[in-house]
Amino acid sequence: MKLEEIKPGQEVMILNLSGKEDILEKIKAMGLRKGRKIALIQKVGRNLLLKVDNSRIVISREIAKNIEVQ
Amino acid sequence: MKTIRVALAGNPNVGKTSLLNHLAGTNLKVGNWPGVTVEKKEGKVKFWDYEIHLIDLPGIYTLEPLSEDEWVAYNYLTTEKPDLILNVIETPNMERDLLLTVELLELEIPMILVLNMVDEAQKLGIEVREERLSDLLGVRVLKTNARTGEGVKALLPHIVEVFNSKEKPKALRYSKELEEVLQKAMETGQETKAKLIRKLSTEDRFKEYRESLKRIYAKDVYEIVKDERYATAHGIYKEVVIRRSLTARDITDSIDKLLLHPWFGIPIFLLVMFLVFKISFDFSSPFMDWIDGFIKDFLSPLTLQALDAIGVGEIIKRVVAEAIIGGVGFVFTFLPLIAVIYFMLSLLEFSGYLPRIAFLMDRFMHRLGLHGKSLVPLLLGFGCNVPAIVATKTLETKRDKLLVIAMIPFMSCPARLVVFSFFAVIFFKNPATVIFSLYLLGILTALLTAFVLRKTLFRGSLYHFVMELPPYRLPTLRLLLRVVWVYVKDFLYRAGTLIFAASVVIWLLLNLPPGVKNPSESIAGYIGKTISPIFAPLGLDDWRMSTSLIPAFLAREIVLSSMATIYAVESQEDKKEFNALKALKEQGISLLLAFKEAFINLFNPVPTAFEVEEGSVDGLKGIIAKSLSPASGLAFMVFLLLYTSCLGTVAVMWREAGKRFALLFLAYSFAVGWFFGLLAYRIGSLIWST
Ligand SMILES: Nc1nc2c(ncn2[C@@H]2O[C@H](COP(=O)(O)OP(=O)(O)OP(=O)(O)O)[C@@H](O)[C@H]2O)c(=O)[nH]1
Ligand SMILES: [Mg+2]
Repeated sequence: MKLEEIKPGQEVMILNLSGKEDILEKIKAMGLRKGRKIALIQKVGRNLLLKVDNSRIVISREIAKNIEVQ
Repeated sequence: MKTIRVALAGNPNVGKTSLLNHLAGTNLKVGNWPGVTVEKKEGKVKFWDYEIHLIDLPGIYTLEPLSEDEWVAYNYLTTEKPDLILNVIETPNMERDLLLTVELLELEIPMILVLNMVDEAQKLGIEVREERLSDLLGVRVLKTNARTGEGVKALLPHIVEVFNSKEKPKALRYSKELEEVLQKAMETGQETKAKLIRKLSTEDRFKEYRESLKRIYAKDVYEIVKDERYATAHGIYKEVVIRRSLTARDITDSIDKLLLHPWFGIPIFLLVMFLVFKISFDFSSPFMDWIDGFIKDFLSPLTLQALDAIGVGEIIKRVVAEAIIGGVGFVFTFLPLIAVIYFMLSLLEFSGYLPRIAFLMDRFMHRLGLHGKSLVPLLLGFGCNVPAIVATKTLETKRDKLLVIAMIPFMSCPARLVVFSFFAVIFFKNPATVIFSLYLLGILTALLTAFVLRKTLFRGSLYHFVMELPPYRLPTLRLLLRVVWVYVKDFLYRAGTLIFAASVVIWLLLNLPPGVKNPSESIAGYIGKTISPIFAPLGLDDWRMSTSLIPAFLAREIVLSSMATIYAVESQEDKKEFNALKALKEQGISLLLAFKEAFINLFNPVPTAFEVEEGSVDGLKGIIAKSLSPASGLAFMVFLLLYTSCLGTVAVMWREAGKRFALLFLAYSFAVGWFFGLLAYRIGSLIWST
């Protein structure tokens, strides 16, 4: 399943991040990486608000398309 | 005395600057969102026999920079080689933060680990075994709370001791095969791990090694190293962090349910902004009235009496009365407004709501080709355009940066508000609506500018939006007051220098050539009349208006001090009887009344500051009311809103976007201001002609 498809309130685990953009390295460093549990808090407009550990991260849908979760 | 250079490095928004402020007593900008510090800043503290230079750096998640601010931190850490790194960590997010720690350890610079935000960690049930952590890494570990300053001072002796003993952290051990190859790449025996990795992954002569690693791991060296770092960070985290599960819900999550609600979020935002401005006006207006009265009924007559007693000449007396008290003193009246509005804006910045506005508004912004993240600098523009322009360094692409820089100057700052609040009451029955519309016009012009630029110069697609939202936090009152004091001091400083100088120069020009009777025949009058044709289409053909606009290029408030000076020269008042003691008593009583009124206003749901009493416009306001029509008053405000009439803004634009950009923008803003001013005048003349 893609991260983009899950619903607010759901908790999932990241399986894989694909894509080549530099920004991916940044979001990995922000905690979005393989094996981490994340929860989707809110979807507003083109963005997703995620909770990873104790931090909250906003990413746009285009990036979420590249994130495979379970 | 020896100097020690200590760099503060860490993820964004972990409290680096707060820590530095406590250590060095500085007032560097702190705020609750990632990306507050965007430039290298420094503070000094003397301790024992050492002068410790603390270098504040922008926050970074990893040593792979993307935006300009991240490059600043990266360059400093990798090329300038500080004597010691204070790696500041947000304890509640230790696993994430440890990645940077591992990368910093590769640099093999002496280091101290600062576990900050221990208060929040405790609330979240997170405990760190600091001795174990210290053993694992071979670095000292200290716990701090940089909000209150708890445990911060204890860092100083450790800094000195680590510096003297040259304690190096333990060498990191990655997996066996990688370590072996790294050993082989070693040439001088002095290379740091970071250097070895860079050599191995980039230089041609190590191609063979890279291939061999690829065969073992089935990935590129770059990937191998990254995974090793993550694994190391994760390993340390598992070893030292103990989490107790808590039943209590995180308060930030609960507040976000409401404030970030897909439907209610934006109405709440509008309500918050309304409250910020309502409180700013209502709370400050009684104090402004009081200062006005204090200067007019006490300070001014007292000074003149004193000057009489000393027996100074007529000229000096007039300079003091007309330029200093009339001009500079007039601008002082607005000090309460400045103080209260910055108090309110700082509260927004410290709460953590600011980046959430960016998240909420991204919906609309991205349709216009703008990033939600660019909203943070734009919002900062309402506080002051200068730091807002500097804050664009956090944007990842040059295109976004320039686009936002071209929008910021249209965000109305408190200096403009001061001018509006003065003019709007003179001409309009509902000044609040007029001021609100002016703010809106500024925003619309900014959007229009962005739209045009995007269709012409800055095409190209939108960059991804990635941002961290911090937990809600409350600042200490002490911090809040210190921040307000910084702005108040800045305002006073400008009043004492720029505004003072401008007033004196204007006064001189109004009284030259010597013996000139009518100010309109003075040099100032002559200059004003020469340029007034430019402003005539806006209904501003009065030389006094055009004259006061010239020095206003330095800073917008000067328009008021200049006008006040000009009118003071024109209407030299006659003296009244003055009894210092009696007057002082009256002032004391009216100050008490001002306090009472301010607090009553605070709880009044409708804005009260702008209730205009019939026939109450007197003094400078009265004179201006007589010499200008409402339409030209509006045109004047519109022009001053849009034209970048502020030396500081132009200077910082010059630095950040280049000379050409700054000068072209200045011309553009003049044209836009003039055009919209003309429009306002024409439309206003139609409405109010009867
Ligand atoms: N509760 C709590 N809040 C803290 C602590 N230290 C800092 N803060 C708050 O955290 C926020 C961020 O502080 P800053 O000092 O601006 O952080 P920074 O690391 O310099 O941030 P950037 O410059 O954006 O990288 C501010 O609102 C501080 O008041 C702490 O120990 N406990
Ligand atoms: Mg900072």
